[in-house]
Amino acid sequence: MLTYTAGRWRGLIQTRLLFVCVCGVSLSLEEMSEQQSYSYENDCKSDENRNKGASRWSQCRKRGADGSLRKAEEDQRCSRRPESFTTPESDGPVSRVKNWGDAVEAEEMRSDVRRDMHRYRRRILAVDVPQRDRKLSSGSSDSRDSQNSKDSTAKGDIETDEAVLVRRQKQINYGKNTLAYDRYIKEVPKLMREQGVHPKTPNKFKKYSRRSWDQQIKLWRVKLHAWDPPAGDLQQIEEIDLGEIMDFELDVECSADPESQCPSANAAALSLAEDSFRGTPKKMMKMEDAEMS
Amino acid sequence: MENSSKEDYKIQSFDLETQKLLKTALKDPGSVDLEKVSSVIVDQSLKDQIFSREAGRICHTIVQAEAKQSNGNVFRRNLLNRLQLEFKAREETRKRSTQEWVCLVSFICNIFDYLKVNNMPMVALVPPVYDCLFRLAQSDSLKNEEEVDCLVLQLHRIGDQLEKMNTPLMDELFNLLRDGFLLQEDLSSMGRLLLLEILEFRAGGWTLSDTAQKYYYSEVTD
Repeated sequence: MLTYTAGRWRGLIQTRLLFVCVCGVSLSLEEMSEQQSYSYENDCKSDENRNKGASRWSQCRKRGADGSLRKAEEDQRCSRRPESFTTPESDGPVSRVKNWGDAVEAEEMRSDVRRDMHRYRRRILAVDVPQRDRKLSSGSSDSRDSQNSKDSTAKGDIETDEAVLVRRQKQINYGKNTLAYDRYIKEVPKLMREQGVHPKTPNKFKKYSRRSWDQQIKLWRVKLHAWDPPAGDLQQIEEIDLGEIMDFELDVECSADPESQCPSANAAALSLAEDSFRGTPKKMMKMEDAEMS
Repeated sequence: MENSSKEDYKIQSFDLETQKLLKTALKDPGSVDLEKVSSVIVDQSLKDQIFSREAGRICHTIVQAEAKQSNGNVFRRNLLNRLQLEFKAREETRKRSTQEWVCLVSFICNIFDYLKVNNMPMVALVPPVYDCLFRLAQSDSLKNEEEVDCLVLQLHRIGDQLEKMNTPLMDELFNLLRDGFLLQEDLSSMGRLLLLEILEFRAGGWTLSDTAQKYYYSEVTD
């Protein structure tokens, strides 16, 4: 009984110390646990874990560089306390997520992407067989065939890197968060959309090189600009996000206004945008195929 | 309908103009200043203990309404960032007014309970919520019945969710509670009772057995 009580007292001291450490003095935690490690094996185990957690956390702040790292962080998020949120006052590590609003938004994005991935997996499983049938019977358009064969090869090989998916989703969101996109989906019902003529959101689950993906996004955004509001409402367009794609955004903004004689150096983007205006999809298709293959 | 929703969200304690603002925010969030709405709600939560325990519900509805209307999350962002500021200042708040501090904890926990991201608790709030509860489990807080009461209420409500999000921290917290129950000298008998109950509650898988239920609650009603 006596030893038990003594044990509890030690435990009490230990947990108090732990709590102090949790509250911010993570450096001294290591010293303390070292000093005390001779006496309480059990408690020290949790100390070791905590230390490991801390170092793993600091590594994981380099998120987005590589998929396996991101996963490690994932596990850690559930079981370990990210110090950056709890110790804003300390000199300890500070996460690159500055506030709870952003943190939750990022969380939501990751969870959305995960949910989409499950759906996509389910869909390609379900669609696999019927699509092959269709391919045999239709055979009308070359591009559709090549698309199908691409689908079936891509089936076993989908993009699963969450960092990549989140990045792609962000790019897609930028595109969808435009007046042009709203107008487009209102004016052209899904069934009426033709491949090569109408913009089609790139499929974020397929394996593409970074360059190919960025180009697809770019082409998609250029095509979307055909649905920009008429010149009178152009100020509103400035509301859309100019973030990552600023340079090409500006090019297209010039070209979207038929009145302006924009001496754009980037003649390619200009002519692309004009093509899509007049509904001549040939050039677009070529570009797209070249990019996709 | 009008009346019942008013009842549900417990907004009667607001002045009439603010009640109107909140009602509009619930119906048509795009037409109001959502930053103002969020700060009105936080301010009230810090003053009004009853409201702080149920404010998550109205926040949840506004978040849903805004997402549905414009796919936006202005309200949630402002709410969480304001909450973060209050959280940072928690120690000063506690020194200034126990009641406000207790309200803050109730509010954060209630937000954690109601606002979900794809039906999952918000990971970003797990550490701060634990921080608040750890603070309440410190010996100077255990002396204060108001704080013990708050601690126990939060654990009753969100203990199981919190444990699922981070079991080791919950274990750690309960070690503090056991120590408090056993060793805290100036703990009132009411405080001791509350701690004992929550210890049993978690041990029973976040529920009380019938006999325990009788033991803790029948005397009060009889």
